[in-house]
Amino acid sequence: MKKHYKVLPQIILSIFLIILSISMLVPLLNIFAKSLSDPKASAAMSGLRIIPKNIDLINFKIVFNHPVLVKSIINSLYVTIIGTLINVSFTCLAAYALTRPNLTLKRPLMVFLIIMMLFDPGLIPEYLVVKDIGLMGSRWSVILITSVNVYYLVILMRFFEAVPKDIIEAGTIDGLGHLGMLWKIIMPLAKSGVATITMFYAVIRWNEYFKASIYILDETKTVLQVILRQFVVLGDTVKLIGQQNVFNYNELAKVDYGGLKAATIVVAVIPILCIYPIVLKYYANDVFAGSVKE
Amino acid sequence: MVEMKLPNQRQTFWKKIKAEKVLYFMILPTIIYFLVFRVFPIYNMRLAFFKYSSRESWTFVGLKYFRMIFKSPDFRQILKNTLTISFMKYVLLFPAFPIFAIMLNEVRWKGLKNSVQIISYLPHFLSWIVIAGIWISTLSIDGGGFNQIIGWFGIKPISFMTENRYIKWVLFFCEGWRSLGWDSIIYFTAILTINPSLYEAAEIDGANRWQLIKNIILPALIIPMVTMFILNLGFFLNAGFDQVLNFSNNAVLSSIDILDTYIYRIGIQGGQYSLATAVSLIKGVVGVLLVLGTHFTSKKLTGKGVW
Repeated sequence: MKKHYKVLPQIILSIFLIILSISMLVPLLNIFAKSLSDPKASAAMSGLRIIPKNIDLINFKIVFNHPVLVKSIINSLYVTIIGTLINVSFTCLAAYALTRPNLTLKRPLMVFLIIMMLFDPGLIPEYLVVKDIGLMGSRWSVILITSVNVYYLVILMRFFEAVPKDIIEAGTIDGLGHLGMLWKIIMPLAKSGVATITMFYAVIRWNEYFKASIYILDETKTVLQVILRQFVVLGDTVKLIGQQNVFNYNELAKVDYGGLKAATIVVAVIPILCIYPIVLKYYANDVFAGSVKE
Repeated sequence: MVEMKLPNQRQTFWKKIKAEKVLYFMILPTIIYFLVFRVFPIYNMRLAFFKYSSRESWTFVGLKYFRMIFKSPDFRQILKNTLTISFMKYVLLFPAFPIFAIMLNEVRWKGLKNSVQIISYLPHFLSWIVIAGIWISTLSIDGGGFNQIIGWFGIKPISFMTENRYIKWVLFFCEGWRSLGWDSIIYFTAILTINPSLYEAAEIDGANRWQLIKNIILPALIIPMVTMFILNLGFFLNAGFDQVLNFSNNAVLSSIDILDTYIYRIGIQGGQYSLATAVSLIKGVVGVLLVLGTHFTSKKLTGKGVW
C-alpha cells in the first residue's frame, strides 16, 4: 500500500501541517513565555517569542498572593468539584433509569428531555427564577443552574446500553438493587463513558464565567474566569493591581501588565492542561489508534 | 368487553409504575432540575407581554414590546450582524473541517499526525476568556505576533480588535482556530470507518491518491457533512454569544452586536426585562422552528435526524 504515496505531495502536506500547528500553538506559547519573563523584558517582548526572557516568577508571585485572585481560584475549584459531582451523579442516575429495558415512561421522559434541550427560555426568564428562589449571590446558583446536560446524558446512555445484557442478568440474580447495579456493574463497565462525561463537565465548570458574572456579584464569592475577564478582556488593571499585597507601589510601577495578564491566563489554563491527556485517552483514543469500534 | 378491559389496563399501568418506583426516583433529580430551571423560566417568558414593575406587579400590555422591537432600527442592524456572523462561521468556514480531516488522514508520518491532533484539539477546551486574552494579545497593535508577521510583508500594524472592517474576520479566524481540530473529528472518524477493501479494489484498478480521495473518501463524508451543515443552520440565530461578548469593545460594538449580546445589554445591564424577554421569545421560537425543520430535512435527506 505504501508505494501509492508519492513523496513530493507528502512533503508538501507535512510542511503545511507543521506550519499550521505551529501557528496554532505560538499564541498560547507566547503567553506562557511572557508570564515567565522578567517584567522589564516582557513589556517589549515579541509576540512571536515562545521562550521566556530572563526567567522570573514575579508575575506568579503576585497572582498567588493576591487576595481576590486566590479567593477566586478556591471558588473555581469549589464550583468545579461540587458542580461536576452533581453533574455526574444526576446524569448517571438518569442514564441508568432511562436505559432499563421496558421502562414504562421512557418515551414521554425522552420527549420531555428533548424539549428541554431544544427550547432556550432566554436570559431574563432564567434570571428571574434564580432571583425568585433566592439563589442570587450564592455559588449554588452557578452550581445548580447547569446540573444536567441532555447531550451528555444521551452520550452516557449509549455507553450504558452497550453493557452486555447477561452481565446485568447475573447481577439481578445476585440480588443487586438498582443502585448497586449502577455502582458495581454498569459504571465500571462503562468506565470510558463515565470518564468522558466527567471530563467534559469538569472543563465546562472550570471555564464557566457568564452565569457567575450575572448571578454572583460579590467579588469574594466569584470564580477565577470572572476576575480574569475583568482584568484581561475588560482591561480593569486598577482593581487587580490596587489590591495586591506583595509590593509597595514604587516597586509595582515596574510590573508589566502584559506579563501579569499572561500569568493569570496561564493559571486559568493549567487545570485544563492537566485534564487534557485524560480527555484524549478516553474520548479520542479511537481516533488516535486509527480505528473506530462501532 | 372494551369497558371491562380499560380499568384492568390502568391497573397494570400503575402496577408497572409502582414496580419501577426506584427507577423514577433515580431520574427525579434531573426532572426537578429541568422543572425549576427550564419549565419555570419558559413559563416566565409570558413577561414579553407584560410590563414588569416588581415581582408581584406585572401589567398586561399586549404586543407593545414586539412592536417596539420591529420598529427599532437597532434590531434590524443586530439581526443583520447575527446572520452575517453565522453565515461566516457556519457556511464559509464549513469546508475547512472535512478538508482538514482528509489532510490528517493522508499524512503518513504518524508522529506528525498525532502531534497535529493533540495541538489542534486543545483550543476547544480553553475558556472564552482565555481565548479572548490570547487573541487580544496576538492581534495587538504593539508587538502582537500577527502584526509582526504582516510586517515582514511591508504591511503597517493594524489594530484588528478595534477596526470595524476586520473584527468579523477576527471572529471568523478565531472560531477556525478554536474548532478546526475538534469539529473535524466527526469527519476523521467517518474516514476511518471506510471499509479497507474499497481502497484495495481501487488500487488494483490503478487509482492514485487523488482518485481515492475523490471516489472513496469524499462520498463517505457526504452524510456527516449534510448532517453537520443542517445542524449548524439550527444555530443560525446564536452566532456564538461567548465569543462575541468577549471580543467586542465600544469601537466595534455596532458591527458585531448580535441578538444574544443585545438581550444581555438591554436585559441585565439595562434592566428592560420585558423587552429582552420579547427578543428571547422571538429567538427561541424561530430557533425551535429552525431545529425542527432541519431535523426533519436531515431525516429525509440522510435518514439520520439531528438527535
